[in-house]
Amino acid sequence: MPEVNVNGHAYAVHGAVGTTLAEALRDELSLTGTKVACGEGHCGACTVLVDGIPTLSCITLVHAVDGAKVTTIEGLRDHPMVYSFVRADALQCGFCTPGQIISAVALVDSKAAPSTEEIRHAMAGNLCRCGAYPKIEEAIRTWQD
Amino acid sequence: MRDIELRQASSTTDVDGATPIHGGTEVVPLIRAGLLKADTLVDIRGVIPRGIDGARIGAGATLAELECDPQVPAALREACKLAASPQLRNMGSVGGNLLQATRCWYWRLDWPCRLHGGDECFARDGEHREHAIIANDFCASAHPSDVAAALLALDATLRTNRRELPIADLYRLPTEDDRRTTTLESGELILELNVPEPEGSVYLKAMERKRWAFPMVGVAAARSSGVTRVALAGVAPIPWLLQGGLDQATPLPRNAYKLDVAKTLVQRAETALNGG
Repeated sequence: MPEVNVNGHAYAVHGAVGTTLAEALRDELSLTGTKVACGEGHCGACTVLVDGIPTLSCITLVHAVDGAKVTTIEGLRDHPMVYSFVRADALQCGFCTPGQIISAVALVDSKAAPSTEEIRHAMAGNLCRCGAYPKIEEAIRTWQD
Repeated sequence: MRDIELRQASSTTDVDGATPIHGGTEVVPLIRAGLLKADTLVDIRGVIPRGIDGARIGAGATLAELECDPQVPAALREACKLAASPQLRNMGSVGGNLLQATRCWYWRLDWPCRLHGGDECFARDGEHREHAIIANDFCASAHPSDVAAALLALDATLRTNRRELPIADLYRLPTEDDRRTTTLESGELILELNVPEPEGSVYLKAMERKRWAFPMVGVAAARSSGVTRVALAGVAPIPWLLQGGLDQATPLPRNAYKLDVAKTLVQRAETALNGG
């Protein structure tokens, strides 16, 4: 049975082999902030941090993160990036937003003031079907304001 | 989903009869789509080398690690940087990247095509905008690996748990008798890549959008001892070493544009290498 530390809490996960991290988070731990859109690793909605690295939880087997430290959007409740997304109005439907914020937080953790090119490179794996990209870019550019 | 067993590999010879899994970016979607039937998965992350030491690259290194390491030749760095998405580059190993399956939609939708053992290539008479323009007679699938094209141009060699081989020998065109596109045997694992330092190298990629797309056409070029090797992604069922130009191409009615793109990118790559 894999043990996963999610947002600072240790959990033993019961799912069968083949259960994805996204399914375990949402269905077993009721952490529904992590969204599943494409379910096949293309869109980035399901992005979480695994040991600090943006990872697609919909194609990660929960048994493969045994012992790892997972951060979901619920664990970033008080992160300034959340408020920056609100300030910049960086969403319309909001479904991709948890994944966007996870990727954005990992980016500014590695570089507090990334360039536009660096933002676009690091955020390329988070698709937004509402097309809020300019506002998302603005939120990341101004997160320390 | 059927019951699957997962175990940790204790050594590189401990994978017989099981499906190896490393980053999972290929294996997990294929299992979930029903295209890969696996009763036993063996997690090989603990036994595959992953460091980068000069010309030697552990097959477990992620694309994200390769894209920013100055020891890595420019063509390979750029191919990694332009491949997939940041999350996939964080997760996927370079060894696994070389073994990824085609993006051909007929294959992905499990049509009984030649790659699946059937007797028809549906893409040839169907939708083949993104398909192969070279060696596409039997099967018109296009090989999606940017990284493989770069390594082919760089004349890399691979070390597996059973042999050493030039990367060109990892791939084979599917035939009536054998539909596989690689020569890797059951239980064989890619452990390490040896990538000689070229005098210069470059990777250029045309995609349908600027980021996060499989190659429409990818062109890698590397010069060593004054000789330039050019290899292409997205144009044939396997990564394609260009020998004798592109006149051998046999584009299909709706993908002839790829030939123009390939010719232009080859010319640009050669110009870039010659400092033009």
